[in-house]
Amino acid sequence: MTAPTAGDRVFLRKASGLIKSASNTDVFIYDIGLVSIGLGLGFLLFYGPAVYLGGDLYVGTLIAGAAMLLVGLGMLTWTITIPRSGGIYNFGTRSMWPPLAFTLSFVEVTAWLFYGSFGAVYLVQLGIAPSVTAIGIITDKPGVESFGTDLAGKWGTFLIGSAALIIGAIILASGMRRFFFSQKVMFTIAVTGTLVFVGALIFTSRADFVSNWNSVMGDRLGVGNDAYNGVIQAAQKAGWSDPGFDWKQTLLLSNWAFLPLIGAAFSISIGGEIKQVGRGQTLGIIGAITMSVVVWIISIALVYKTMGKDFLGAVTYSNLNGVEGAATPVTPFPTLLTGLGTDSVVLTILIALGFIGWIWLWIPTQILYPTRALVAWSLDRVAPDTLGTVSERTHTPIPAILLCLAGGITFVGMLAFTSFFQLVIFIEVAVLAWALVLLAGVFFPYRRPDIYNKSPIANMKIGGLPVMSVACALGAAAAFFYFFNLFFDDFAAGHARHSMSVLIGWFVGSFILYWIMWFIRRRQGVNVDLAFKEIPIE
Amino acid sequence: MFFATDLHGSNVCFKKFVNAGKFYGASVLILGGDVTGKMVVPIAEQDDGAHLTSFAGRQVRLETEDDVASFEARVSDMGFYPKVMSEERFQDLHGDPDAQEELFHELIRERLEEWIQYAEPRLAEQGVKCFAAPGNDDAFFVDEILGESEAIELLEGRVIELDGMEMLTTGWSNETPWKTERETNEAELRSMIMSMIDRLSRPESAIFNIHVPPHATALDQCPKLDENLRPVSSGGNPVMTSAGSTAVRELIETHQPLLGLHGHIHEGRGVARIERTYCVNPGSSYSEGVLNGSVIRLRQGEVRDVHLTQG
Repeated sequence: MTAPTAGDRVFLRKASGLIKSASNTDVFIYDIGLVSIGLGLGFLLFYGPAVYLGGDLYVGTLIAGAAMLLVGLGMLTWTITIPRSGGIYNFGTRSMWPPLAFTLSFVEVTAWLFYGSFGAVYLVQLGIAPSVTAIGIITDKPGVESFGTDLAGKWGTFLIGSAALIIGAIILASGMRRFFFSQKVMFTIAVTGTLVFVGALIFTSRADFVSNWNSVMGDRLGVGNDAYNGVIQAAQKAGWSDPGFDWKQTLLLSNWAFLPLIGAAFSISIGGEIKQVGRGQTLGIIGAITMSVVVWIISIALVYKTMGKDFLGAVTYSNLNGVEGAATPVTPFPTLLTGLGTDSVVLTILIALGFIGWIWLWIPTQILYPTRALVAWSLDRVAPDTLGTVSERTHTPIPAILLCLAGGITFVGMLAFTSFFQLVIFIEVAVLAWALVLLAGVFFPYRRPDIYNKSPIANMKIGGLPVMSVACALGAAAAFFYFFNLFFDDFAAGHARHSMSVLIGWFVGSFILYWIMWFIRRRQGVNVDLAFKEIPIE
Repeated sequence: MFFATDLHGSNVCFKKFVNAGKFYGASVLILGGDVTGKMVVPIAEQDDGAHLTSFAGRQVRLETEDDVASFEARVSDMGFYPKVMSEERFQDLHGDPDAQEELFHELIRERLEEWIQYAEPRLAEQGVKCFAAPGNDDAFFVDEILGESEAIELLEGRVIELDGMEMLTTGWSNETPWKTERETNEAELRSMIMSMIDRLSRPESAIFNIHVPPHATALDQCPKLDENLRPVSSGGNPVMTSAGSTAVRELIETHQPLLGLHGHIHEGRGVARIERTYCVNPGSSYSEGVLNGSVIRLRQGEVRDVHLTQG
C-alpha cells in the first residue's frame, strides 16, 4: 500500500454531489471567451497608435495585464472564500451594508448591459458594415460598397444592433442549451478567424501589403497611387505624429487593454458551479489574462511587421478625423486592413467573420450576467417577484431577460442616435464597483472571520496579513488606478460634466431604488434586512 | 414557518437553524433531508507530536493542541467529521472501506446526538415546533436517532396535522448517479408518495414536504454530468440539466397542494409555481456556514409570502 497523498487523507462516503472538479479548461474557455481577444486586439490597434500619440502598445498591454492580474487575484480570493454564483452581489451582501451592496451590483449590472449594447453597436459599425464595404472594394462593386457604408448609419446601427440583441435574448430565453451551443459555434468561428488573421499577417510581407493596398485603395483615396505613403503623409500634415515614447499616453491607451481583460474575471459569476474553485478559478482567471496578453503582444508585433506602426496610426487617425483624401471609405479596423492587404475576398470574409464572432460572444453573455443578478435580487426581495419568475418550459427567467433586452435596446438607441453615451462611461462605474468590493475584501477576514476561517486560503499569510487582505488591497489599488485612468482619459471615458452626472445619478438612483423596494416590502410584511443578516447563535 | 434543508452535517448551520425561529419570528421549524455529512477528516498524530491532516486538497500540519481544536471546530462547521487518531490507525483505515463506513456511522451518530442535546433546551425555551426528515443521502439509522429526540419530531413517511393543514413527508428521491441510500425509480417513488396522499383529507390544502424537487423547474437545475461524474460543458459553460422527479411533478400537477417543500439540488435555490402550488427549494450553502432557508407565511389556508433567506 502506498502512502496516502494530501488529497487522500480524507474518507468520503457515497453521497450525492460528490462530482469531480469542473475541468480547469472549462473555466479557462469561459473567461477567455469573455475577454474577447479579437475585439480587445481591435481596440488596441485601432485606437492605440492613432489617438494616443507616443503611447506604446507593448508597454500599455503589459501594464494592463499586470493590473488585471492584481484585480484577478483579489477576485480570486473572494470567489475561493465565497464560491457562489452571482458575482459581486454575493460578495457585497456579505461584506458591506446591503443597500450599498445592492447599489454596486445594480450599477455593475447596468455597465455590463451597456457593454453588451456597445458590442451590438460595434457588431454593426466595426464588424458587419465595414466587412460588406471591404468586400465591395475588393470585388470592385460600388453598390455593395455603398450598402456597407449605409449599414453603419444611425438607423442601420440601431436596427441591426437591436436585432442582434433580440436574437441574443431569444437564444437565452429559449434555454441554456441553445445558448451554449450558439456560443460554442461562435467561439469556433472567432478562433478560426483569428488564426486566419494571424496566418495572413505571418505570410504577408510589408512589400506585399503595400502593393495590395495601393492597388485596392489607390483609386479610391485622394493621396496618389502610392496610397500607403500618401495616407501617412496626409495624416502627418493633418496633425498626426509619432513623438516617441510617452508614459502618460501609454498609461491612457492601456485602458483599451484593461477593459476587455475585465472579462477574464467573469468566472466569479459561476463560482458556485466550480467544485475545485481554487484551481479552476486560478487557471481560468490568471490563464485567461496571461493568454490574452501573450496573443495581443504577438499580434501587435505581426501587425507592425506587416503594415507598419506609422501606417496603422495614420490610416486610423485619417478615418477618425476625416482627413481629406486619406479617410478610408471603410473603418480601417486592423482585421479589415489585413483582409484588404491580402486582396483576397475569401480571407477577408474569414477574418471578418472571426471578428464578428468575437463581438457576438459578448452580446448574449452580457445579457445573461445581468439576468442572473436580477433573479438574485428578486429572491432577496429587493426587486419585484416577477423578475425572479423562471419559465417552466425553458427554465429561463424570461421577465428578467425581457427587461434586460429593453434596457439593451435603449442603450443601442442612445449610442446610435446621440453622442451622449458615445464613450464607455458606464465602464467607469463597473470598475469603481469592483474596486469597492475589492476594498471590502481587505477587511473581510477581520470583519467576517466566521466565513473567512472556512476558506481554503484562511491560513495563507503574506507578511503576517491574511492573503485575502493583501490580494484585495493590491486589486483595489489596481482597480482604483484604472478608474482614475479612465476618468482622465477623455477619449475612452473621461469626466465630462454630463458623464459624471449620469454616473452619480445612477449610483444615487440605485440606492433610492433599494429603499423603495425596502418600503414596499415592509408594507407587505416582509423584512428585507433579514435576508442579509446572519442568524445569531445562542 | 421556517424551512431549511441539506445541512450535510454543518454544526454552525444546525445551530443557526435552531435559532432561526426566534430570529425570523417563525413558530414552526422544518428541517429538510440530507442532515449528514459526506467526509471524515482524519487528524493523524505523528511521532513528533504534531498532527497531519488535509484541507481543501492540501496537506496541513497542526503543531499544537489548540491548532487541532480550532481545526476540528472549523471542519465541523463545514459539515465534515474530524477524527483524531494515530497515523497507524489512519493507514489501517485507508485501505479498509468497511472500517471507514463504521467510522462514518459512529461520527454521524455522535454529531446528531450533539445536535439534539443542543436543540432540546433551546427549542423548549422558544416554544417553537420543530420537525425533521432525512434525505436520500442519510443512512436509515438516522431516523432512529432523530426519532429519539423529544424536541424534534421525525416526519419520514408520515402525514401530520400542522396548524390545520396536513403535511406529508419523504426524504426518498429518484435515482441519482451516486446510488445513494434512499433512492428508487420513479414508479416506486410515485407509489410511496401516493400512499401518503391517499391519507390526506384535503390534498389541495396540504404541504408536500418531499426532498427531491419536481422535474423541469427552476428548483432542479444542476450541472449535467458525464459517465465519470464530470460536469459537461459547452462553449466553455456548464450545461445544466433537470435532476428532479417526474413522479413528484406529476403528483403536484394532479393534486395541486398548497405548498411543496424541497431540497436535494443545492444549486436550485428558488421558488417555482406549478399551477397553484408554490414549490420552494432554499438551496444549500452549508460548507460556507451560511444557512439558506425560506420563511413562509401561511394564513387561512393560503400562502401569503415565500421569502428566501441566507442567514
